[in-house]
Amino acid sequence: MTAVTNIAVPKAPKSRKPIDGWRWVGRIFLVLMLLYTAVPMIWMLLTSIKSGFAAMQFPPQWWPDEPTLASYQKLLDPNNSVGQDFLRFFWNSLFVSTATTVLSVAVAVPAAYAFSRFSFPGRRFLFFSVLLRNMFPAVIFLVPLFILMRLLGLVNTHGSLILTYLTFGLPLAIWLLRGFYDNIPIQLEQAARIDGATRFQAFVLIVMPLSVPGIIATAIYSFIGAWNEYIFAYTFLNKNEQLTLPVGIQRFFSENTTDFPGLMAASFMMSVPVVVLFLLLQRYFVRALTEGAVKH
Amino acid sequence: MAHVVLKELVKTYGAFKAVNDVSLTVNDGEFVALVGPSGCGKTTTLNLIAGLLPITSGEISIGDRVVNDLDPKDRDIAMVFQNYALYPQKSVYANLAFPLQMRKLPRDEIDRKVKEAAKVLDMTHLLERKPRELSGGQQQRVALGRALVRDPAVFLMDEPLSNLDAKLRVQMRSEIKRFHQDLKATIVYVTHDQLEAVTMADKMAVMNGGFLQQYDSPAQVFAHPVNMFVASFIGSPAMSLIPLETSTSDGNAVLSGAEGWRMDLSSLNARKVQRATTSKVVLGARHSAIRLHKSAVAGAIPARAYTVEPTGDVTFVQAMLSGAIVNISVPPDIAVFPDEQIWLEFDQDRMHLFDGATEMALNAD
Repeated sequence: MTAVTNIAVPKAPKSRKPIDGWRWVGRIFLVLMLLYTAVPMIWMLLTSIKSGFAAMQFPPQWWPDEPTLASYQKLLDPNNSVGQDFLRFFWNSLFVSTATTVLSVAVAVPAAYAFSRFSFPGRRFLFFSVLLRNMFPAVIFLVPLFILMRLLGLVNTHGSLILTYLTFGLPLAIWLLRGFYDNIPIQLEQAARIDGATRFQAFVLIVMPLSVPGIIATAIYSFIGAWNEYIFAYTFLNKNEQLTLPVGIQRFFSENTTDFPGLMAASFMMSVPVVVLFLLLQRYFVRALTEGAVKH
Repeated sequence: MAHVVLKELVKTYGAFKAVNDVSLTVNDGEFVALVGPSGCGKTTTLNLIAGLLPITSGEISIGDRVVNDLDPKDRDIAMVFQNYALYPQKSVYANLAFPLQMRKLPRDEIDRKVKEAAKVLDMTHLLERKPRELSGGQQQRVALGRALVRDPAVFLMDEPLSNLDAKLRVQMRSEIKRFHQDLKATIVYVTHDQLEAVTMADKMAVMNGGFLQQYDSPAQVFAHPVNMFVASFIGSPAMSLIPLETSTSDGNAVLSGAEGWRMDLSSLNARKVQRATTSKVVLGARHSAIRLHKSAVAGAIPARAYTVEPTGDVTFVQAMLSGAIVNISVPPDIAVFPDEQIWLEFDQDRMHLFDGATEMALNAD
């Protein structure tokens, strides 16, 4: 039997591609890029589990002699002042980012749908004027928005930040979602309306479920934008108990001699929600960005 | 089931008139095809009946009810779309159930009706699948099922077969026809394929440029096209249309071609020609109304074969006459070669005459 099979199976021809120089250049480039992005994060993680002394050593220790979670314990301990501050900042950031996300989805979904489906006078103009904000660097709006917020009595409130983040996040959200709705054949809604749905039901029952990936991508965009934002939060908020994480972390560690392991531990924990969000929803995210690139 | 009446229906987009003064009646249980080239207003007309577009003026009635201002959901219609428009996130079962759920039927009745429709369309085994897991023909059948599950007054179909491959199209064509016969359903069917219209419909409404050109049974439209557009659009290969001049010779009307030949006319055709508004007349003849001779025959017109297309059953010969291409069919056993001298004899009883200026068919009385 074995002999027969041995004869029957022809030798697989060796398909050896000629060594492609460019392929290797590309691989080396990608490895360098990976190091460039990953090493700082690894360094952040390593420093966060060092003692204060070990963090300052030169030549640096790559792997700490005595790894410790002391910095994390300190930050998450609601009984000391550092922990109290950190947890409060964390909570503030979470609140501002979540509120921004919810509002931006609530506004962007109907706005994008309207831009996609209804023809009304000034539609094109309005659609492009939505983008006007994105043509200028955000800093330009810092002082005008500050004056506006002062007039509205919103300085030192989280409302000022939520409003500001919405003005930055909404245009992109509307653009992204509109592309999504453009891609959903209008016949689906027409079919639903003939099948007995009102226009609103057709939207909620048929179109909305189909645009979930787009909505999730939009939500991630606005959440990350709000979560990481620094300058406006730094300008609009002065009271310690209202600060968001990006501002809070910086305030809190530059007062004395900088506690690098503590700073790194805080930075690491700050990046956790974003990373988790991304990992959970990345397949939607990628789908949203490539959706509509080709006809199905 | 119900009848549908369109009265002076108009739809404009700015200055553009997509549907122009269209009036027609679809009787109860009738299968009517709206047919015409793309952009002729047939799909717009269907969408107006469905209520997916607001009408500019005119009146639409379904049954005895004027539905001008009713929402699509209140018109008691069902529609089959060209791209099927199945709800991609729902299973076949849920797709079929959706119209019934929207009408708030009790759950067990929905279940019964969905299973019944699935059985009729032979797709019980597909109920749990998602639309993307189905073949084109199966998707088409689900779309049909979603329309019939609800027992609507009127079925509207927008080119339902044009996304299918040729073989499946022929098969589904007969299925839809059977479906119409079994259900005695009132169907308004849009297609750009005149063959579909001719083979399936009780009546066809030929449209062009937003105007209704002719509304009659396929046989009537085929035999008596009202104008040159209908004549050239219906029938395959298209009717040959040859621009000619009329004159009188010895008191009899004759037609003369650009090559200098003359054709005597029967007395009926002579009367038709006399009603033309100018001396220019267009002679229309289907391929089967022209006889091809390989030698000179009295009354036959000399021409030269241009191309020869054997199809197996029949061979089509094209020749040039007066600057127009003339299509003639000959039995396959008659060999004709390109550039060969031939003689064409027109069947006086089956040829059509059109006014060269108005392009309308000329009638004797």
